[in-house]
Amino acid sequence: MSRLSLLHRALLGAASVLLMLFVWEAASRLSLVDTLLVPPPSEILATAADLMRDGYRQTPLRDHLLLSLARSLAGFGAAIVIGIPLGIAMGMAPVLGALVDPFVQFLRPLPKLALIPLVVLWFGIGETSKILLIYLSTVLTIVVGAAAAVSQIRRQQLRAARALGARGFTMFRFVILPAILPDLFVTVRLAFGIGWTTLIAAEMIASEAGLGWMVVNAGAYLRTDVVMLGIVLLGATGYGLDLALVGLQRWATPWAGRS
Amino acid sequence: MNLQVLIAPDRRAPLPAPLIVVEDVAKRFVDGRTGRVTAALEHLSFAIREGEFVCLLGPSDCGKSSVLDLLCGFEQPTEGRIVVEGGPVGEPGPDRGIVFQEALLFPWLSVFDNITFAPRLAGVPAALYRPRAARLIALMGLDGFENHAPYELSGGMRQRVAIARAWISEPRILLMDEPFGALDAQTRLAMQEQLLIAREATGATVLFVTHDIEEALFLADRILVLSGRPGRVAREIAVPFGRPRHYEALLTDARFGRLKRQIVEELRAG
Repeated sequence: MSRLSLLHRALLGAASVLLMLFVWEAASRLSLVDTLLVPPPSEILATAADLMRDGYRQTPLRDHLLLSLARSLAGFGAAIVIGIPLGIAMGMAPVLGALVDPFVQFLRPLPKLALIPLVVLWFGIGETSKILLIYLSTVLTIVVGAAAAVSQIRRQQLRAARALGARGFTMFRFVILPAILPDLFVTVRLAFGIGWTTLIAAEMIASEAGLGWMVVNAGAYLRTDVVMLGIVLLGATGYGLDLALVGLQRWATPWAGRS
Repeated sequence: MNLQVLIAPDRRAPLPAPLIVVEDVAKRFVDGRTGRVTAALEHLSFAIREGEFVCLLGPSDCGKSSVLDLLCGFEQPTEGRIVVEGGPVGEPGPDRGIVFQEALLFPWLSVFDNITFAPRLAGVPAALYRPRAARLIALMGLDGFENHAPYELSGGMRQRVAIARAWISEPRILLMDEPFGALDAQTRLAMQEQLLIAREATGATVLFVTHDIEEALFLADRILVLSGRPGRVAREIAVPFGRPRHYEALLTDARFGRLKRQIVEELRAG
């Protein structure tokens, strides 16, 4: 398989997006599709400008975006802070792993939407429930990923480190932690994708703002332009954050996949 | 000429106690699922004196690596006794250097940080380990590569870093488990020569596991030929060649071919 340079990839990607936008716009202008159901990109752009100025349902577009970001990052951040140490502990202590594993494996494939009624009953309809839902949807993936990362470390590598004097904490800090870092990044990226997806569901719980809520609300009023704008923003923000994670990953673990 | 020996042979200082003694050691593994017992080693006995270079030679899967695992302290013998430096085998540590078949470098550390890993972990002051590192880097031909990452190095260079990393703590014993087995023939020869030079400079005791007869003849003072599984010392061969050794000169030495043939026959019979 021949490889493309980064620039070539970026150029081809941009060309393909531009072509898609052009076809979409043309289809609307030539009335090939119903503009009420499929508003053209130009209209979505106009809607964006409109919402930035006047807001959607009294909330400026920027605040919808920031609120969604804050919710998902809070839930996602908590999942990282709790999930990574728990996963590592499970990977390092087989007894703990065996004790916790059934719960993790039961909850992980469970559609988190099924938890909405319980979460609302237990925690109400405030911010806690939304953040909790994002947390729940991501933490298990992170736990499983971190535990797997630890068990992926080769025995010989650990033996080599032991022979050099690494023990207990120093083994953890200077060998295990850096060794699992590349895998942790992969896990975190995966979990982030899941968390961002859960956002819409979380914001369906009696919200008055947020990108996910905006999309659902606009759908009810047939504002397809707002729906599509929300979708574009959700996608673009998720894409951007993932790119940021990839950048961080390249910077922090330049050796990943090369040793 | 040692005059004392000539005048009063009876009052010679006794030979120093061997650095490593392995006495009637057995190592058996129990398969966790089937409960079947496999013996890797049975009735294994040998001793190594300070400063000796001993090769452990045997067919693949004869328990050679088990011997090193026991000497490192990764595993405990099922039966028998092992004495290292006058005491029982303790926890694995930098006092016994070990080099595996793979370099097993830490990919997140530079060459220099890999080499100085053990002293830095032990809190040795930089003023102490820096000159040692510099000497080993020169000895191992790694000058100019101090700041390289392991993945930027060739296989031979990685293995040299691994040797320097094991050697920096100045262990009295260096245990090597087929360290050049994964290298191509040219690189392997260069590495063997480098190892002999470095060992000459440090005077370390080396126990070197290999399945390569020529490698053993080139490197060792003494070769312990192991039998097939369960491994025990089938034969001990004192290598008659002086030092420094030159590979080309060995090839034309009639004793080289004779010893090689002897060992081949031994391994076939084993």
